[in-house]
Amino acid sequence: MPKSKNYRRLMVIILVFGIGLVVVSLVGLVRPVAASPISAQVPRPVTASNSSPDNATCLACHGKPGLTRILPSGETLSLTIDSSHFAGSAHKDIACSECHTNIVSYPHPALQVQTIREFSLQMYTICQKCHQEQYNKTLDSVHMRAVAAGNTNAAICTDCHNPHTQLVITDQNDVLLPEARLSIPEICARCHSAIYNAYKQSVHGAALTQEGNTDVPTCIDCHGVHNIADPTTNTFRLQSPQICAKCHTDPAIMDKYGISTQVLNTYVADFHGTTVTLFEKTTPDQATNKPVCFDCHGVHDIKRVDDPVYGLQMKQNLLLACQRCHPDATTNFPDAWMSHYIPSPTHYQIVYYVNLFYKFFIPGVIGSMGIFVVSDIVRRLIERRKGARHS
Amino acid sequence: MSKKKTARKQTRSIIKPMRLYERFHWSQRISHALLLTSFSMLGITGLPQKFSTTGWAQAMIQFFGGIETTRLIHHISAIVLMLLAIYHILDVGYKIFVRRTRLSMLPGLQDVKDAFQVFVYNLGFSKKRPQMGRYTFEEKAEYWALIWGTAIMAITGFMMWNPISTARILPGEIIPAAKAAHGGEALLAVMAIIVWHMYGVHLKRFNKAMFTGKQTEAEMLHEHPLELADLKAGIAQRLAPPKTLRKRQTIYYPVASVLSIAMLIGIYGFFGREKTAITTVLPISNPVPIYVPQTPTPIPTTITTPVPPGMLTWDASIGAIFQSKCSLCHNSSLATNGLSFASYADALRGASDGPVIVPGDAANSKLVVIQSASGHPGQLSPEELATIKNWIISGALEK
Repeated sequence: MPKSKNYRRLMVIILVFGIGLVVVSLVGLVRPVAASPISAQVPRPVTASNSSPDNATCLACHGKPGLTRILPSGETLSLTIDSSHFAGSAHKDIACSECHTNIVSYPHPALQVQTIREFSLQMYTICQKCHQEQYNKTLDSVHMRAVAAGNTNAAICTDCHNPHTQLVITDQNDVLLPEARLSIPEICARCHSAIYNAYKQSVHGAALTQEGNTDVPTCIDCHGVHNIADPTTNTFRLQSPQICAKCHTDPAIMDKYGISTQVLNTYVADFHGTTVTLFEKTTPDQATNKPVCFDCHGVHDIKRVDDPVYGLQMKQNLLLACQRCHPDATTNFPDAWMSHYIPSPTHYQIVYYVNLFYKFFIPGVIGSMGIFVVSDIVRRLIERRKGARHS
Repeated sequence: MSKKKTARKQTRSIIKPMRLYERFHWSQRISHALLLTSFSMLGITGLPQKFSTTGWAQAMIQFFGGIETTRLIHHISAIVLMLLAIYHILDVGYKIFVRRTRLSMLPGLQDVKDAFQVFVYNLGFSKKRPQMGRYTFEEKAEYWALIWGTAIMAITGFMMWNPISTARILPGEIIPAAKAAHGGEALLAVMAIIVWHMYGVHLKRFNKAMFTGKQTEAEMLHEHPLELADLKAGIAQRLAPPKTLRKRQTIYYPVASVLSIAMLIGIYGFFGREKTAITTVLPISNPVPIYVPQTPTPIPTTITTPVPPGMLTWDASIGAIFQSKCSLCHNSSLATNGLSFASYADALRGASDGPVIVPGDAANSKLVVIQSASGHPGQLSPEELATIKNWIISGALEK
C-alpha cells in the first residue's frame, strides 16, 4: 500500500527530527554575552584662519582676572580665561575664534543674551564642528531630549566639558585614561549630587572615590556617555542585566576580587532572568515587574553582598527584597532563588542530585528504549529479506 | 454484554473470519485525544522554556506570542491534563470496584519475561516471539511511564506555580529542585514518546485501534493472542448480575463524587491559590531626586577689599582699581577713545570728547554713567563702582 508507505516515511522523518531537536537543544544551552567597549574619538585638528586674531591678542584682555559683564538677568558673566588652565587644556592649540566665530575685532559685537545659561545654550552647538560623532550621539540622549522639551537645566556639551579647561582624557588609542575615570562622577554630580552621594556610599563608588580603584564602574559605564539613555524606560530595565554583565562576566576584572563570573548565567537560568531575557529579545519595551540586578542589589547604592548591614547574603535582607514583590513570602522562600550558585554537592544539593539523577536516568531509559527499538528494526529487516511475513 | 449477544457474536466470527474486536471504548479514545493534545501542547510550550537561551526556543516563544502567552498555554494545557487525570482515576476506580474488570494493565513478572524474550528473539537467539495478552509489556511500560511522569509533573508543577505556599511547609530549595525535575522529566517524556510510542504504534505498524477503536482478528492474533483466546473462550469479561452492579454503584457514586469534588478543589488550588507570585505588582523603586545641582563654583574675580574712608584717594586705592580693570584698553600707549588711566592727570583729563570724571558730581561723570548702564567691555564690579562713586563725590583727590 503506497499510502502506508508514505505514512511510514513521514513517521521516520518525525522520529529523526525529534531526536535531532533534543540533541541540538542539549548542546546549545548557554551562550556567552559579548561586551562592547566605550569608544572615544579624537577630533580632527583645527587651525586658526589667518584673518582672525591669535589667542595671545584675546588673552591680553581675557587673561586678566575680574573681566566681567553684568547681564540683564543680574548675573555676572565672567569673561576671564585662566591662561594657565587653558594652556594645559585639550584646546590649547585651537584659536578662540574657531568657537567665538562672531568675534574677530574690537570692539566686540554686543552680547544678545539675558542669562549666562542662554549664552551657553547659544554656544554649545559649535562643538559639533570638531566633535561631530559625539555631538550626534548627544542628540539621542536624555539630556538633549530634555533641552528640546524646554528644560534649560539639562546638560549640554559645555556643562561636562568646560571648553577652556577640558584636559585630554583619552590615550593615543582613544581609550579613556584611568585618571580621567576618577573625575567622571564628580562631573555628573554637578547636577546629580543626590545620586552621587548615594554612589559614593556604594561598593563601586567607595572604591573609586576612596581607593582610586578604576576597575569599578563610573556613571558612564552604565549610563553611557554622550548618548545617555533615559534610565527609567522599560527598554533600559530589560537591558540592564547586560550592563552589569559587561564587568561581572569578565574574569579579567572579577578574578581579582574573587567574584563569580556566573552571575548572569545563573540569573538567566532562573525564572525571573529567563522572563526578562525573553522580554528583551522578543518585546524590548515590555513593562515588567520581574526583578533585574538592581532591584535586589540596589541602583546607585549597590552594597557588597557581605555588607554587615545591607548585605543580601543575610537571609533576612534577601527576604525583604523578595517581599517587595511577594508580600506573602516567608522565611524559607528566599532559598527558592539559588543566590547565583550553580548547584553542587555543597550548595543547593537537592537540585544538584535531581539534576544528577536525570543526567543518568534520561540516557538510561531512552538508551534502553533505543536499543530495544533498534533490535526490533533489525529483526524486521531480516525477516523482510527472508520474505517471511511478520507483524 | 448478555450471554445471548456474546453467543451471536461468536457465531458471526465463525462465518466471518475478518471479525472486528473492540479494543478501545469511545471514552478511552476521547481521553487519548485529550491526552495527546494536552501533552503535545505542554511539550511544545514547555521545552522552549527549558531551553530558553537557544535561538529555536526563542523563535518558538515568539511564535506563541511571547513568554507570558507561552506560559498561559502551558498552564491551560496542564489544567486539561489534570482534569483528565481525575477522570481517569474515577474511571479506573469504577472498573475496579463496580465492574471488577480484570486488571490487565497491572505489570507483573510475566512482562519482564516477555520483554526479555522479545529482545532475545530480536537478537536472533530464539525462534519464537512470546505471546501476550490484552496489554503487551510495551504498552504497560508506556502507561506506567505516563502515570509516573504525570504524577511528577503535577507535583513539581504545583510547586513552581505556587512557590510561596510550597516554601511555607518545605525548604525553599525544593522549588528550584522541582524545576530541575520538571525539566528532566519533560525531556524524558518527550523523548520516550518519540522513541517508544512513535516507533511502537506508528512506525512499526500504524496501529489505528486508538482512533477506530477496533482491531481485526488477524491483528489480535498477532499482537494480543492470549486476549483473543480469552475472548473466544468467553472468559475475558465476566460481569456480575445487574442487581449486584447496581448495589456497587450506589456505594461508588457518592464516594466518587466526594473524591472528584476534593480533587477539583485541588486543581483550583493549582491556579487559584497564589496571586502575589504572578499578579503584576508594580516595581517598587525609591524615587531619587534627579536634578540636584551643586552650588556653583564662584566665578574667579579679584578680591575687592572695602576701602576705608581715609584711603579714598587715587594713590591709596583708586588708581589700582583703574589699573587692574581699565588699563587694558585705556593705557598710555593704547588710549582707546583718547582716554587713559595711566596716571591721575590722564584720568582727570578725560577722553577725546571731554572729561569722564567731574569731581564732586558722580551723577554727571561720564565714567559712572557708562559703568552704571553696563554694556562696557570692561566692567567694574558693583563694589568697585560704589567705591569710585564715593571717591568722585569726595572730590576725586589724588592724595
